[in-house]
Amino acid sequence: MQTEFFTHLRCRECGRPYPPEAIHVCEWDFGPLEAVYDYEAIRRQISRKRIESRAPTMWRYREFLPLEGEPTVGTQVGFTPLIRAERLAKALGVREAYVKNDTVNYPTLSFKDRVVAVSLSRAKEMGFTVVACASTGNLANSVAANAASVGLESYVLIPADLEASKVLGSLVYGTRVVGIRGPYDKVNRLCSEIAGKYQWAFVNVNLRPYYAEGSKTMGFEIAEQLGWRLPAHTVIPMASGSLLTKIAKSYQEMIDTDLVEKTPFAIHGAQATGCNPISDAFQKGTELVRPVSKPQTIAKSLAIGTPADGYYAIQTIRKSGGAAEDASDEEILEGIRLLAETTGIFAETAGGVTVACARKLIASGKIPREGSVVLCVTGHGLKTAEVLAGVLGSPRVIEPSLREFDRLVSSDLAETPIPEGPGA
Amino acid sequence: MTSVAQEKQRFWLTFGEELCQRPIICELARSFALTFNIRSAQVTQRTGLVAIELEGEREVLKQAIQWLEKQGVTVEPVELSTIEG
Repeated sequence: MQTEFFTHLRCRECGRPYPPEAIHVCEWDFGPLEAVYDYEAIRRQISRKRIESRAPTMWRYREFLPLEGEPTVGTQVGFTPLIRAERLAKALGVREAYVKNDTVNYPTLSFKDRVVAVSLSRAKEMGFTVVACASTGNLANSVAANAASVGLESYVLIPADLEASKVLGSLVYGTRVVGIRGPYDKVNRLCSEIAGKYQWAFVNVNLRPYYAEGSKTMGFEIAEQLGWRLPAHTVIPMASGSLLTKIAKSYQEMIDTDLVEKTPFAIHGAQATGCNPISDAFQKGTELVRPVSKPQTIAKSLAIGTPADGYYAIQTIRKSGGAAEDASDEEILEGIRLLAETTGIFAETAGGVTVACARKLIASGKIPREGSVVLCVTGHGLKTAEVLAGVLGSPRVIEPSLREFDRLVSSDLAETPIPEGPGA
Repeated sequence: MTSVAQEKQRFWLTFGEELCQRPIICELARSFALTFNIRSAQVTQRTGLVAIELEGEREVLKQAIQWLEKQGVTVEPVELSTIEG
């Protein structure tokens, strides 16, 4: 199906139009370029019924994604569960909580599969044969896996001192991994130079306008899974700030195309205190995002010191009536445990950030206790399991003796009596 | 004589209150053989944010960036963070 819905790119600052090529900033003012669609045509074409009849993947919202033809990479990605989390809601002190669970996104267990599916499909449309990214984890894994699945050659650039366990998750797919020595900002500068020099599809650089749009599908899914309504409050982790702005965009697009009723939706941002350029600027009441030169947090997937979409994230949060919070390493670990113990979902550190910040936002009344909130959990806990070493305690070890086991259970029961009721 | 390749790079420069009254771009231009082209700028009493394109020899560009950073200017490629989690 050739679609006429995605029309061109446009500068977010000055509004100048650009052709749909592998470009990402405006030649005039360096403003970011963004995909533009014909919403009137989409409104005529699409309906709830039509979407519901399609396969349960992110591509059921195909009209809102910047491709000219059918997707060719990551065709199984998305439509992850949205679960009602009653025990988590109780622990957080809010009437209703949902978790959008991208820890089980296919194939690499993080929301990055959404953005990579769009950018690699677009890269193939534009005739690229080499795709690349610079990443410390999730993005690298996703580019490597999705490229391998369709036979695209891939380069993954990483800081040379990255832990071996994180590198394995990319190497296994046969990608070309290149470690770069030096401090983070120097590595970053070299990566942007490489992106400028080599005519490769750098997913989050020259393909950024396409890549970023993939994040919208998380928002579309949330609204559909809530029964075609927008959540009053959504808490979203922020690294570059792109995911947050795109989920807000998805909600607005659903209103504009009559898929949902126009109801208020507050967008809240969550960062780690050790790298909080966006939440810090928000809390200080400014839009000037001050770079964090040396991020220090266990939430490495959020540790972007110079967030490309920070300014827009702050605008989105303010305009929607939301707020921004940040969480210390200790609070992040507590967040991971709370989520796991109340929902059975094991999230990476970014998920801990979301839960910890949601708790603060509820405690401060920015999310009302009688309200309803959706927490976006973006990656699987096994990716950052090492942060929990020494935090969870160890299993109790006994001899192979039933008597010893009986004694252990008896002492457990003495501590926590079994509640009365059926089976007790 | 071999000609040295010219390069063009685009940056966001940000600086704080202490540099807002200093003619930092003028000093840059006088100290280095570079062509500069300001694309957008927002300078208040407290902060400065300048989008600039610099063109010149690679080595000179490198030295200019180092000089700016030494003065207290944050120099970021317009791509900002290309490294994601």
